[in-house]
Amino acid sequence: MEPILKTENLWKVYRQGKVDVPALRGVSIEVMPGEFVSIMGPSGCGKSTMLHVIGGLARATRGSVLLDGNNLTEMSDSARTLLRRHKVGFVFQRFNLLPTLDAYHNIALAQHIHGNGFDPHRFEAVTSLLGLSGRLKHRPSELSGGEQQRVAIARAIISEPKIVLADEPTGNLDTKSSDTVLGLLRSLNKDLGQTIVMITHNPEAAEYGNRVLHMRDGQVVDGISIH
Amino acid sequence: MIQYMILQNVLHRPLRTFITVIAVAVEVTLVIIVVGLTSGLLLESAKRTEGVGADIMLQAPNASMFMAFGAAPMPIAIGDKLTQLEYVQAVAPVFTQFNSVNGLDLVFGIEPESFKQVSGGFVFHGGHDLKDPDDILVDDIYSQAKHVKLGDKMYLLGHDWHVAGIVEHGKGSRLFVMRDTLQDLAGAKDKATVFFVKSDRTDHTPAVADEIHSLLPNYTIRQLKDFVSLMTSSNLPGLGIFINVMIGLAVAIGFLVIFLSMYTTVIERTKEIGVLKSLGASKAYIVAIVLSETGLLCVLGAVAGIALAFTTRAILLKLFPALTVLMPLKWLAIASAIAVVGGLLGAAYPAWIASRKDPVDALAYE
Repeated sequence: MEPILKTENLWKVYRQGKVDVPALRGVSIEVMPGEFVSIMGPSGCGKSTMLHVIGGLARATRGSVLLDGNNLTEMSDSARTLLRRHKVGFVFQRFNLLPTLDAYHNIALAQHIHGNGFDPHRFEAVTSLLGLSGRLKHRPSELSGGEQQRVAIARAIISEPKIVLADEPTGNLDTKSSDTVLGLLRSLNKDLGQTIVMITHNPEAAEYGNRVLHMRDGQVVDGISIH
Repeated sequence: MIQYMILQNVLHRPLRTFITVIAVAVEVTLVIIVVGLTSGLLLESAKRTEGVGADIMLQAPNASMFMAFGAAPMPIAIGDKLTQLEYVQAVAPVFTQFNSVNGLDLVFGIEPESFKQVSGGFVFHGGHDLKDPDDILVDDIYSQAKHVKLGDKMYLLGHDWHVAGIVEHGKGSRLFVMRDTLQDLAGAKDKATVFFVKSDRTDHTPAVADEIHSLLPNYTIRQLKDFVSLMTSSNLPGLGIFINVMIGLAVAIGFLVIFLSMYTTVIERTKEIGVLKSLGASKAYIVAIVLSETGLLCVLGAVAGIALAFTTRAILLKLFPALTVLMPLKWLAIASAIAVVGGLLGAAYPAWIASRKDPVDALAYE
């Protein structure tokens, strides 16, 4: 079986004034379909940059990123946008829901952008799975943190992406909401086979995945399997 | 979905939306009223000239059809020669003077009998025809607008007049005095500004025009049956330029307001743009959202502008009953289209910068 995600000698260098700052320094990882991989590391180790590059939001400086067989590093911005639309779902630390839309339309927006039209059956299945059925008419300002993150997860998976990239999904949540969200991600992985890459600085959150990769100073220093 | 999102975006900042819509409405109203006032002025003037009842209007060489521009007097003896031409039933020499004090008025100095032969005579709402040298006739619209009553004294062109009669409007001017008196005031004895010529039959008018042309080859001869169609802004020196400048200013207002509104909107929604890009929204999608919002604001502004234009016209006509403000459907559509196109052009740059935002930077924006 081919990995759903493969990076080889991945570098990302930012230019700050006259100084080059390497955020990623030769990262090589593989993620197989159906895996739930947690990437841990201290602040500034390059976790978020890693997520942005493998999700096609940023272009690598050198090295390769193969996502479902597509080499992101050779793609134009519009090609990466197209790939992201069909194959990647994002979950952010601060939810990043559109404040002018209610939960229903925040989720439906992803289907609209995907381009295959509104699928009511898929919509019903996802919102029920995430326990959102009674909260769809509420705007983000009327939802708790946990509910907002569940809406964000629904938005991320509504179009059946190949991989979900979660950037500190519990960073803005209390313990109870964090457990709920992490439990949902685990069940999406176990029950639906959703491939998930989650970055976190929380060791307890990291254990929800079946493999943990440790990053430091832009490099993966080790990886352990959990289950 | 996208329509819902655009509507919610527009409603999200009600004050900004309101001000933007009002600015576009003012732009639309400005165009409609400026064009309406100028075309109304022209049409009303043309109809009154046609209303004299003459078939031909003879003026000096190169004279403007707008009698207010230049007296260009001709010897009144020309009238006798015109009377002798075949098919000519009557000739009315008229001397005009333009008054710009307390209003803009063209005064007709007439000889009552000859004017009656051409025009068929006045319809009197009160009083009688010109008899004494200082008599003045005013039309009913002037009387209402200026609150002039029968028997009043009027000071006009540096002279005191006595209001002898109030007549039905539509016979060339709103004010009529004795021609001799007006000539004396202007120091232009035995001069005429225009000769109104009536044919014995309508189908003889071209022949009469040809005769006059033979008699006076360099003079300006106009057949009045086509007069209304000649009264356009392109025939009035500077008016076309004035209209175009006003329209240009209106477009500039709309362009700048929309530019500012959408620019601040894009800045405010930087993070949202990042989210849309993370979901896979293309540059074209982002541009479409910005331009669609703009389109909605401009359409709302156009509708409000048309309503405001009708209201403005009603107020103007109440305050100035002598005015004519034309508002043909064609110009309502043109003004609206100008607003929409100008707005979309104003939003083009903000839409472009929105589409080019780096998604990572946009997501990190606070």
